[in-house]
Amino acid sequence: MPRIWAVARNTIRQALRMRVAVIFIVLLLVLLPVMGWTATGDGTLRGRLQTFVSYGLSLTGLLLSLLTIIVSVHTMTSDIEHRQIYTVITKPVRRSHLVLGKLFGVVVLDVALLTLFAGIVYAVTVFLPKLYRPSAGELREIDNEFYTARASLTPPDIDVSAKVQAIWEQKQEQLKELYSSLTTQEILEQLTTLERMKKQAADVGQRLVWEFENVVPLDPDQRLFIRFKYDVSLTPADEQVYGDWYVGDLRQTQGGTDTTTPIYRVSRRDAIDTFREFEVPAAAVARDGYLAVGFYNDPSWNQTVVLFPLEDGLEVLYKAGTFTGNFIRGVLLILCRLIFLACLGTLAGSFLSFPVAILFCLVIFLTGTVSGFVLESFDTLGEKANLIYTYTVQGLVKLLPQFDKYHPTKFLVPARLMSWSFLGKVVFFMVCIKAMLLLGLAIVLFSLRELAKIVV
Amino acid sequence: MDYAVETISLTKVFSDWWGRAKVYAVDDLNLQIRHNEVFGLLGPNGSGKTTTLKMLLGLLHPTKGHALLLGGDGTDPKINARIGFLPEESYLYRFLNARETLDFYGKLFGLSTRVRKMRTEALLEMVGLKAVAGRPVGTYSKGMARRIGLAQALINDPDLLILDEPTTGLDPIGTRQIKDLILKLAERGKTILLCSHLLADVEDVCDRIAILYGGRIQAQGRVQELLRQTKKRQIVTDAVSDVTVEKIKQILSEEEAECEVSSPLEKLETFFIHTVVEAQQVATPTSGAVSTTQIGDFLAAEVSKESILGRLVSTREPRDEPAAPVTTEEPMVPDSGKPGPDRQLLSELTKPTADPETHGVTPVEEPQARPVEHEDRAEHIRKSVLDELAGRSSSSEEEEGSKKSQPEDGESNHA
Repeated sequence: MPRIWAVARNTIRQALRMRVAVIFIVLLLVLLPVMGWTATGDGTLRGRLQTFVSYGLSLTGLLLSLLTIIVSVHTMTSDIEHRQIYTVITKPVRRSHLVLGKLFGVVVLDVALLTLFAGIVYAVTVFLPKLYRPSAGELREIDNEFYTARASLTPPDIDVSAKVQAIWEQKQEQLKELYSSLTTQEILEQLTTLERMKKQAADVGQRLVWEFENVVPLDPDQRLFIRFKYDVSLTPADEQVYGDWYVGDLRQTQGGTDTTTPIYRVSRRDAIDTFREFEVPAAAVARDGYLAVGFYNDPSWNQTVVLFPLEDGLEVLYKAGTFTGNFIRGVLLILCRLIFLACLGTLAGSFLSFPVAILFCLVIFLTGTVSGFVLESFDTLGEKANLIYTYTVQGLVKLLPQFDKYHPTKFLVPARLMSWSFLGKVVFFMVCIKAMLLLGLAIVLFSLRELAKIVV
Repeated sequence: MDYAVETISLTKVFSDWWGRAKVYAVDDLNLQIRHNEVFGLLGPNGSGKTTTLKMLLGLLHPTKGHALLLGGDGTDPKINARIGFLPEESYLYRFLNARETLDFYGKLFGLSTRVRKMRTEALLEMVGLKAVAGRPVGTYSKGMARRIGLAQALINDPDLLILDEPTTGLDPIGTRQIKDLILKLAERGKTILLCSHLLADVEDVCDRIAILYGGRIQAQGRVQELLRQTKKRQIVTDAVSDVTVEKIKQILSEEEAECEVSSPLEKLETFFIHTVVEAQQVATPTSGAVSTTQIGDFLAAEVSKESILGRLVSTREPRDEPAAPVTTEEPMVPDSGKPGPDRQLLSELTKPTADPETHGVTPVEEPQARPVEHEDRAEHIRKSVLDELAGRSSSSEEEEGSKKSQPEDGESNHA
């Protein structure tokens, strides 16, 4: 361990002498406070805070990711290129210890820099409202919708398979003729999506009800937040939709006997294609944890079908944690990414030259940041590919990191709770499995390779 | 037999991208270096010296054969803990200063803070970099980098020191210091593998050498055996009178040997060192490395401080092992000095019957390059022999001393 630490310390020194590291550090030190002033968002204080946290953490994550790649690759390749490895590896240091030492150094540097910059982002985020002297309403808004961590409930998937099967049996020939380029499976999938979308669409004068069970607010005095997004079939002139919302135990209106739970009615106008929220007291939840949310497409105001997107059209949020706790977990999420990249850089540097290794890492990094798209593309390809593909390329694709899926701003901007179990899952898959695989491979390759250049 | 360094059919073939053999950098090399031996690996550029070292240290994988260091693998940390290695260039971290450099390497050996600190300071003093120890190594001249490179190779007080071109880039004083250091370390029982193409360096310090060419050993053996001109003898005296010279000539003429008489030239290295030492004494400032005479002091001082080092301080063990591959070798003499060809001559000259093959004497300017501690003894030999040559009556004690000083194998020392 003392030897690993000696190598790690040397790696940190080496990194801090790199100009690129200094540039990145200075850049962040200057940009983060400046962004606190310049980030305006939608003009509201909440918008400012959301924009700053989003940009601040994204920039920190991006620059530290690039720095991690550069430093980890450089520390591995530079020693071989400049031959300091001759004097180091001939000391009683195992090659695996050297690799671990270098990785450890990069990770320690990452932890230090991430703590510093995340600390700046946090400090600016907490300090920012003091600059703008917000009204009581604004303060309440940011407390409820930003400086908090809210659990999220999404409507359960509705089973439409019976309906789809019925349609298929009834109109099989027509559908096959209409979608001749698609396979039966694809036609069925499209029908399923269509039917599910219908369940999320309210025609003019129609009512939609979403039902949730096992809703357990921590505190009955707290508020529930209904977060939604409107899509329309016909865009209104003012691009606004009038919504008549009912939240509570709607079973009462259908012959239910329990009348103690209040039903809250909220009528409001909201812009289409953007996420909006309104709040109701948590008392709307029935004793048995039942909660219903109803939407009425009032024909006296709207002339269009209103749709709620399948993935995130509607959800119920309630306070389940603190902003600080959520922020810390968000920063740890970035750290997971940095550890993965440090292992990746170490692996690349263990057998490639500096420029090639950097290129290799950047390709993986960029692929990881658009992993949703990449994985979807490979899945589509996989459906038509053979077994060899399934057991080779597809396996490797699964090893790709999913940085876009595990981005802290996805939680911090909508003040959505990131649970410890979620973080634990990321740590397990991204760090314990994927990163350790890379590290193991790096140690094997570095132990087997010749470290000297061939000169004759 | 247990060797400090051993290679068995060591071969390194460099292949092209397609795996086709292009060059045999080292070809079936069988090398045996005994413990407590200063061994020189000589050869022109590209002869396979450095490649051999790299295979010994595990930096390159042999294509065939084995390389053993201290009876083990060069990549084994237990073996590495007993080795000091100075590569052909120092290859240090440019951003560390000299003190940080030595501290870093000390940590890699797992040395305690106290020992690290003590050795760092002692080594900095020894290599004359104490005054510039706070400067980043990247700003050092080549010679200064070489000195700190040597210091890092010694931080663990190694049993086996592998030096690749140790004097490259060093000034004459530095070169001389390194040579003296090598001899000092050898006296302490260390094994030293010296790789160089600077023949003078190797000649001055090595017990045995091997000459590589094309990856193969072309010649191997003890230096004096390989270099000895058996058909000539050489004697160096104080400035004796012409009469004495004539008497010597007369003695030699009886053997029909030709004789040249001239004043020996001082070695440029010696002259240079004298000049700089004089300048140092008047404290002329320098921004570079300081030449010190601390090598012996450092080693001696460390003995009293560390028991482990103290244990290592011992006179060189008698080297009575049989010679390895080449037939020119003879058993080593249990002697701390470097026996030269004229010792044999002096011995023979003092005998009533001279070797009939002795033909002449040539002046030698070698003595000043030898370690100082050998001179007293040589002086003793010289006086008694010359007395006899000059026909002076010498005391029986001197005669006894003279005879005692003569090695049994008949070799003579030159001063």
